[in-house]
Amino acid sequence: MAYVATRGGERAIEQAERLYRARMGTIDAARVAEIEAALPALVDRVMGEASLYARDLAALALAQTGGDIYEALLLLRAWRTTQPRLQVAEPIAPDGTFTHRRISAAFKDIPGGQILGPTLDYAHRLLATEVLDGMPHVPPPVTPAEAPCHATHPSLAAWQQAQGLLQPPDPVAVDRNEIPDLTREPLLFPAKRAHSLQSLARADTGGLLSLGYSAMRGYGNAHPTVNELRLSEAELRVAHPNGTVFSAGRVPVSQAEVVTTRGKDGLRLGFCATLGWNEIKVIAGATLDLNAPGAAKGSPVEQEFVLYHTEPVEASGFCIHFKLPHYVTFQSALDNLRAARANAAEAWGAPGPAPVPQEEPAE
Amino acid sequence: MTLSDLARPWRPFSYGFLDASAKREIRRKLVKAIAVPGCQIPYASREVPIARGWGTGGLQVTCTLVTPGDTVKVIDQGADDSVNAASIRRFLARVSGAATTLDTTEATLIQSRHRVPEERLHAGQTLILQVPNPEPLRPVMPDMSIARQMHADADYGRLWLVLYEQMVRTGRVMLGAAYPSLVNGRHVMTPSPIPRWDVPKLHMADHLTILSAGREKRIFAVPPHTRVEPLVFDDVPYRVEEHGSLTCHKSGLRGYFMNELPQPDGTALHEVSDSHLGEKAIRRAEGEDVRIAETWYRNGELAP
Amino acid sequence: MTALGLAPPTLVTAPPLLVLEGVTKSYGPVPALRGVSARIWPGEVLGIVGESGSGKSTFLRMMHLEETPDAGSYMLNLPGTPGNLFDLDRYDRAQLRARHIGIVYQNPHQGLLMKNSSSGNVAERLLIAGERRFAILREKARGALDASEFPLDRMDAPPIELSGGMQQRVQLAKAIALEPAVLLLDEPTTGLDVSVQAAVLDTLKRLQRDRGISMVIVSHDLGVIRVMADRVMVMRHGIVVEEGLVDQVFQDPQHAYTQQLVHAKL
Repeated sequence: MAYVATRGGERAIEQAERLYRARMGTIDAARVAEIEAALPALVDRVMGEASLYARDLAALALAQTGGDIYEALLLLRAWRTTQPRLQVAEPIAPDGTFTHRRISAAFKDIPGGQILGPTLDYAHRLLATEVLDGMPHVPPPVTPAEAPCHATHPSLAAWQQAQGLLQPPDPVAVDRNEIPDLTREPLLFPAKRAHSLQSLARADTGGLLSLGYSAMRGYGNAHPTVNELRLSEAELRVAHPNGTVFSAGRVPVSQAEVVTTRGKDGLRLGFCATLGWNEIKVIAGATLDLNAPGAAKGSPVEQEFVLYHTEPVEASGFCIHFKLPHYVTFQSALDNLRAARANAAEAWGAPGPAPVPQEEPAE
Repeated sequence: MTLSDLARPWRPFSYGFLDASAKREIRRKLVKAIAVPGCQIPYASREVPIARGWGTGGLQVTCTLVTPGDTVKVIDQGADDSVNAASIRRFLARVSGAATTLDTTEATLIQSRHRVPEERLHAGQTLILQVPNPEPLRPVMPDMSIARQMHADADYGRLWLVLYEQMVRTGRVMLGAAYPSLVNGRHVMTPSPIPRWDVPKLHMADHLTILSAGREKRIFAVPPHTRVEPLVFDDVPYRVEEHGSLTCHKSGLRGYFMNELPQPDGTALHEVSDSHLGEKAIRRAEGEDVRIAETWYRNGELAP
Repeated sequence: MTALGLAPPTLVTAPPLLVLEGVTKSYGPVPALRGVSARIWPGEVLGIVGESGSGKSTFLRMMHLEETPDAGSYMLNLPGTPGNLFDLDRYDRAQLRARHIGIVYQNPHQGLLMKNSSSGNVAERLLIAGERRFAILREKARGALDASEFPLDRMDAPPIELSGGMQQRVQLAKAIALEPAVLLLDEPTTGLDVSVQAAVLDTLKRLQRDRGISMVIVSHDLGVIRVMADRVMVMRHGIVVEEGLVDQVFQDPQHAYTQQLVHAKL
């Protein structure tokens, strides 16, 4: 009588994967292109959280996983791990990016104007069920303005700083190729500024939203005003070894600055930026960045708490790992329980008074 | 000179999946970990094609150490045929070309989730344990950065207090798997969620043990011939699980860590958790000439 | 030699147990301590009075080796503690602090683990000092709590369930568990009911007498200082304005500020 052969386990997992993939059927280049065209917001979100700009790969990951965002992220991040690092591009100055959308809640109007850009903010959220009845929804064409908008827009924060309203940030001088890289070094606390911004850039949108929302509802110490929200395209400028700087193309980026008016030395800024256009993420992220300084350990807006728990690949992986067999640790705990019951006489003296309830320690 | 002279053909991944920069970092951190036994060394921890929490830490170490000449064994809860172990073993074979085995005595690298094999490991074998939570102070300090300072200060009073309070309340220490242990007399580590039964196997061993947490990004190690002492009061002895007298219903093996299998009639059967040991015992009973190495436990007790 | 063969009596001057010299500390532009010195002899109780902002609590933190000053020295006259304690590294400071210095804070939340048992709070000190026998931990915890006049039938209750006075007694037991050379008390009875204050001070006095522990008591309450201390230091704006025997200083204050304090409070 032999044990279940190893093949048994392998066969099971192979079939389990096939069951899942059967739901999606054949995945071809056409489907990937359709996803890329049809779901730009989702593709942007996935690129941001994967910290990898590659529209076709993000669409492929979504096709391959059937739309499971966390699985798609893992595919992209694992793939990213295998790619060689060629270069660090030139820094991006927000006021040099090609503006699609730029608004401020702090002032009615700002130098360069409030540019609404593409947004559903003012749309009526009505489900177009007629589409299912055979009447396709064709969006009415955009009516061009009389004069084209400026391609670039100045930074409002620069104006505020010139006015002496804004606490200037402490710049950290570092060679471009020495910028601390979260994907190559462990994240330790208190975190380097580069690490915390990178962490926010690739954080889980839902996670940032939850914790950002708690800050907005008073669980933090700073209430945010959106100083500037920008959706733009940034030129990726890379330098050839012979010195020529050229553009490798444009990538969509979103960024938000939020301010609190309650600082002693003027306005204080929180900042968050990410690849792709994802407004909820950058506003929530900037709010958390604003709330981090001075937050008490254990509060939901404290930096270590936020950055640890908004990491999508780590969080989702650990969550689903609880499905793995845990019967050995369970057996060990049962053993203690049984021994405690059976051998009460062996125990050391009389038990003390009923304790204050203790939480079960985390694994 | 053309571009094709300068470049090499594109490959989907490097040998052992991880690229050179990842492996270099892990090698350096491993050296540090071995130099300071039991001390958690932070590392960047790359994403690999299995989910975080499913053994990415162990996998990164195995991928760094593996060479084509290695023989790799992978177990989960002691079993080679567990779905997770099978999946990892397949991946390792694919990215390294190394041989795989179910036999502890043949393996050079053993990646394990939550068990140490029963057959004694010798010098030249490396045990790589998957670690979900590397921080033994977590029950008293959930904040990793504060806990790190506590290790630097050897500030373990509050951890000892957990044992004290358990003794006061229940008359016995109720810690189960992942029993905090003092390594080399200086750092307290979690041995990973191995049962209490397995912790003594790490003490003054001939083999190297590496513990790696991928999600939490910490590596630590127990070099050969290093003390690993579970935290116990001098007058309250360390107790392993009471499996010394249990018998495996399939193989007849007695006195090893067992899995309990509830039966429909309300009773329970047991089977030896080290599944391949069980298989070898069955094959030996059927007349086959199999090699079973000396085990740490004999007749249900830890052999000296 | 006298006729009886005894050596003639010589004046024996015990060296001070604790010597702090020129302790100076600023927090940014704010000078908290400006060259404060103090000596404490074995078995004596030194009181430090001053209003908030005087630097008395900062000075106590220095004595407790929680912080190091910008300048100054700290010597403890005990075997195995040579040199300026402020020069010790973090680890050695913690070891020395655990072994030789006990502290009772005004706020029990600062000094105690509120949800662990009271005996556990005391045991933690012993564990930090390396005690590994459970039976001894119980025995010594019980002994320290008893000496602090804490009711032993509640020795395993967590401090969070106890009254203010009882919490201070747990702090006291924790502080004396290792029989330290010196006990620091920062406003130990402030905030307690008057009758409870009296009881705790009683216990402190008895302990001090029975064990001969040196104590440093910081308080804004001159009454507490008068009851407990042998000598007193008056601090104001980071310097010592007056010091001497308690009776002398309180009955015949020399410095204008001391006169003000005494007049207002006693």
